[in-house]
Amino acid sequence: MAHGLETRVLLEHAEDPGLRTLDGYKGYGGYATLEKAYREMEQDEVLKELEDSGLRGRGGAGFSMGKKASFLPRGEMAKYLCCNADESEPGAFKDRELMQRNPHQLIEGIAIAALAADAGHAFIFIRGEYDLQADILDAAVAEAYEAGYLGENILGTHRDLELVVHRGAGAYICGEETALLDALEGKRGNPRLKPPFPAVQGLYGGPTLINNVETLSNVPRIVANGAEWFKGFGTEQSPGTKVVSISGGVRRPGNYEVELGVPTRELIYGLAGGPEPGHEVKAFYPGGSSSPVLTAEEGMDLPYSFEAMAEAGSMLGSGSIIVADDRVSIPHMALRTARFYHHESCGKCTPCREGTNWTVKMLERVVRGEATPMDLDIISSVQENIMGHCLCVLGDSMAMPVSAMVRKFRPEFEQVIAGAAETLDPHLVVQGPPETLGASI
Amino acid sequence: MSEPREITLTIDGREVSATEGEMLHDAARKGDVEIPVFCYEPKLGEPVGACRMCLVEIEGIPKLQTSCSTPVREGMVVHTRTEQVKHAQSAVVEFLLVNHPLDCPVCDKGGECPLQDITQGWGPGKSRVIDEKRHFPKPVELSPLVAIDRERCILCYRCVRFSQEVSEDAELQLLERGDRTFVGTYDDRPYVAPFHGNITELCPVGALTNYTYRFRARPWDIEQAGSVCTLCPSQCNVSFTVRDEKVKRVLGRDNAEVDDGWLCDRGRYGFEMFADESRVDGPRLKGGAATTWEQAIETAALGLLRAGEGKVAAIVGDASNEEAFLVQGLLREALGSPHVDSRPSRGAGREALVRLAQPALAAKVSDIDDADTILVLGTDPLHSSPILDLRIRKAIRRNGARLAVATERPTALDGGAEAIARYAPGEGTHFVSELAAALGGTENVAAPLAESLREAGKVVVVWGERVARDGGGAEALLELAAALGDGAGLLEVPDFANARGLREAGCLPDAGPGLAPTKSASTGIPAANAPLVGKSTEEIRAGLESGEIESLLLFGVDPLRDFPDTPAWEAALTACEHLVVFSMHKTATTAKADVVLPLETHAEKDGTVTHPDGRLQRVRPSASRPGDIRPNIQVLAELSATLGHDTGIDSQPSAFAALRAAVPFYADIDESAIGGRGVRWQDTPAAAAPSAAADVGSPSERFAHEANGPSGDSNPTPQRRSASEEGLPAAAGSLTLGTYRDLWAGPITELNPPLRFLTPRQRLELSPVDAEKLDLKTGDRVRVGQNGSAVEATVQIKERVSEGVCFLAEGVSIGNANALLNGGPVQVEITKLSEARA
Repeated sequence: MAHGLETRVLLEHAEDPGLRTLDGYKGYGGYATLEKAYREMEQDEVLKELEDSGLRGRGGAGFSMGKKASFLPRGEMAKYLCCNADESEPGAFKDRELMQRNPHQLIEGIAIAALAADAGHAFIFIRGEYDLQADILDAAVAEAYEAGYLGENILGTHRDLELVVHRGAGAYICGEETALLDALEGKRGNPRLKPPFPAVQGLYGGPTLINNVETLSNVPRIVANGAEWFKGFGTEQSPGTKVVSISGGVRRPGNYEVELGVPTRELIYGLAGGPEPGHEVKAFYPGGSSSPVLTAEEGMDLPYSFEAMAEAGSMLGSGSIIVADDRVSIPHMALRTARFYHHESCGKCTPCREGTNWTVKMLERVVRGEATPMDLDIISSVQENIMGHCLCVLGDSMAMPVSAMVRKFRPEFEQVIAGAAETLDPHLVVQGPPETLGASI
Repeated sequence: MSEPREITLTIDGREVSATEGEMLHDAARKGDVEIPVFCYEPKLGEPVGACRMCLVEIEGIPKLQTSCSTPVREGMVVHTRTEQVKHAQSAVVEFLLVNHPLDCPVCDKGGECPLQDITQGWGPGKSRVIDEKRHFPKPVELSPLVAIDRERCILCYRCVRFSQEVSEDAELQLLERGDRTFVGTYDDRPYVAPFHGNITELCPVGALTNYTYRFRARPWDIEQAGSVCTLCPSQCNVSFTVRDEKVKRVLGRDNAEVDDGWLCDRGRYGFEMFADESRVDGPRLKGGAATTWEQAIETAALGLLRAGEGKVAAIVGDASNEEAFLVQGLLREALGSPHVDSRPSRGAGREALVRLAQPALAAKVSDIDDADTILVLGTDPLHSSPILDLRIRKAIRRNGARLAVATERPTALDGGAEAIARYAPGEGTHFVSELAAALGGTENVAAPLAESLREAGKVVVVWGERVARDGGGAEALLELAAALGDGAGLLEVPDFANARGLREAGCLPDAGPGLAPTKSASTGIPAANAPLVGKSTEEIRAGLESGEIESLLLFGVDPLRDFPDTPAWEAALTACEHLVVFSMHKTATTAKADVVLPLETHAEKDGTVTHPDGRLQRVRPSASRPGDIRPNIQVLAELSATLGHDTGIDSQPSAFAALRAAVPFYADIDESAIGGRGVRWQDTPAAAAPSAAADVGSPSERFAHEANGPSGDSNPTPQRRSASEEGLPAAAGSLTLGTYRDLWAGPITELNPPLRFLTPRQRLELSPVDAEKLDLKTGDRVRVGQNGSAVEATVQIKERVSEGVCFLAEGVSIGNANALLNGGPVQVEITKLSEARA
């Protein structure tokens, strides 16, 4: 049952296992919007509805979806739509649920968005680890083809759309839109230089619209009910509902769909149940592990919206809250975060490749007690040196949270260094000779 | 496409003129502002923006931008030395050094290392890194020629981009990710590809080093000497790294008009043969006995004089223009004999050559870059002029040029070709005239290829010398050029590296210097009544056997390896009464010589060479001559004087002056015009000379014989005439033999120890259909025989070989195909010797 704070739009009927099937989805009115759009609407009408709705991308950057679609040049060239389902950010698991419970909503959204982008080919790039969800999508796509919602001459409208579900090979970087394109083309998944932006020159050199699963899942309802209906939810700058993944030190972790702008405290305490009794929230990532952490004092009373989080010096990102209660060691959390980005850095550009590696080494010294306060200055300075200097945002994704943690919890870092002898975590100690890479060769 | 606009931008307060759209880094350089880079290298194609070294501030853009990937616009205001920029650049250097070992004192790159230089210029000066650096086993063999030190690698992508986007071998890859990324190959196989040495020059750190140069010298021990590589007709510009007057390394010397900044591995690693123990390092008499120069020259001169009137001949191969000019002068003027040639067998007549040399028909190498269509005709550039292979690939990859290939044997470029035609060995000339006719609308075997050349825009025809070897070949090429329209240009790939220079210097039986009729040259005594037109190479060979020729002078050629019909040459040289051989190394030919005189290498000699596109370039002495070797020009002068004809030409300047005086279209070219980059004679005022000297009929007259061929033949297979129709017996188990010169055949691999692993073994290439008929599979050993001669080879079945033909390599040390050739297409019998080992 939905909690009173929840506003289920995308997750409506999600508790019904039958929703996954074409019949189940159609039973709740599914594909009616596709029929309407394909039979009655022109590209510009769909585009206008999306632009007017103010729908902001749910993948992290929060850019207006309609505006992005309008950047695609018009003309006879082959255009593409890519659904980014490479949900790999620590803390984010909303797309998984949307695909698993309601795959046809996404497919319908893709088909309608393809109309707005005038794309003849669409791909869902799903991370390889989402095996179950990919199987569900495969089955749903097959059903949609069977029913004539995909393929050639959709519903006799002479409009075509081919949709392919592509499973990634397991790299966080492939969620970066241009790396996703390279991976989809069969290349090493490394980000491309921008410009040119994918809207102009994307997949196979053609104009390409890339959107997140949740963004595209919103499309059918916006086109069905109109932009004004959509703007009825959320705030002026953050219209709509948002599926928020809440994890970490809370009693009821999970996905909660709320109107954007609800108080953050209600999300963490009301919906997710807050920390274990006797503990307090110390800090939280408001938008996935790449967002600068907010202390409880800073963030707990902010409305959960794109603009409020930006104003607080962080970001809403993909809408994934990771809560650290008062038992969590922030230096260890910083190290864990840095290790993730070090592991996932593609290695193409220098600041990210070397900066993530160096940061990990320094933070390892911090938690081993082998650092000095001067190292904290160096860590901060290295994060500064990464930010804004990389080819894509992966480097900044480590630098922003790590830098925020050192800045906001410096005494704790100093304390950890000083007390490391007693609190030494044996798993973090590097022992023996340094590892030799590629030694099998 | 509209002309690029000249614009003005401001960099560090200075106004800089640039071309709109060019990258900011390049524009800054024009304004004398250096922006440091590692990954950026325009030769590699589109920028990747990976190293982040070139971040600069552009007014109006909040974030710093990579200048390597930012096109300039009118009015752009750029700052490269603000605190923000300095901070960012210093940060990137610091990051690069996080994992880079500070082993400069033992690193080969030390002293000529961009990372060192940029660290000094833009780096923080102090290191804040105390953590362990990454470790790899090192150094390891990336190839037998290149060592890779992965700890030093800064992952700039250059080598990988070269492999994937320039040489297109796609062998180099980045493996793993993040700071664990390393450069390697699939399954750690050795990176063996014909251009791979370029990665050692692209590497901005000491990660990729040549085994031939590791620990041989430090930058302060060496000097760089610019010269030209004469190992093939590409004549790439090189810089020899010289220590103690010996060549230690060969580097490219970027010349966009010639080599585009690349070298092939032949040119890069083919220098150890300069000091090979087989080098002829002083004058020798019969049997290899060392002698004095005086004695050697006297013996040579006496032998040449002893021959009867007009019974002396000379064949010139590896020679500079000056040397070629002096040799032909020696023959024509000192010995009064017209028999001089510079081709392995025969070739087009003077008149046709004059017409082919018209500047209007000439394509230059850089024309390939902006060609709409490239037609490769009767040559495989990879084997015959390797650097053109890269050039053609570049035109296809970067400019979308269309490629058509018409050859006997499958080429390395076939993969990028839109149209491919195969003709039977020896049918090149015929095919070209069919192609010309097909372009005119005739339905024949060449029609499908002609279809792809219709509305082809600007066409560059890269043609192999052998297409024009037989009668009518050159004329057919002229027809073809005319049929392709005004945009068409011809670029020859000759058999000898300086073939064009040799011909223009007068080493042709029917043409003197400047391709002039021979009458003007044969004024010398003692044989004023000698015939005007001399014998071609194959006629000289026949003349030796029949006694018409008694003495022979060979200059830089090895007929027993490189010329067709080895048995006949063996007999001819045995019959030769007096053989004088100028040779760099001891060969089967020098073993038969009465006098062997040493030759200088292209690192030692001083002279000019002429590129197939007409560019005169200067080969400069860079290293010392080993042993008792004297300058070739001086030796030729002494020989001429001893023969009683003292020319007074005994140095490069005097020889070049004489050459210029004799070749009208070289008249405007002097040393300063050649400079470091060379000059095409077609681009000088005197260029009109060869056509003025031409005394030729109209094309239609020249083509009268064309009516002989059965045009209108609609047989779709490229082998229009089967060998049996030509009167050759086509027995069961016999195939028509085609031959080719392999990139690695010959002394290049035998005399350079580092390249020895590339020595090609003789392979018999044939089609799957013929292999099945003959019950052969890849790896079987066979005997390939023809008229009493036979060679052994290993079978290689190739999908793209046409039915009824097979191929063997020329010039390989064991099983040389030249043993089977007799001047025309031959049928060979194939006998299985043993099965492939499982």
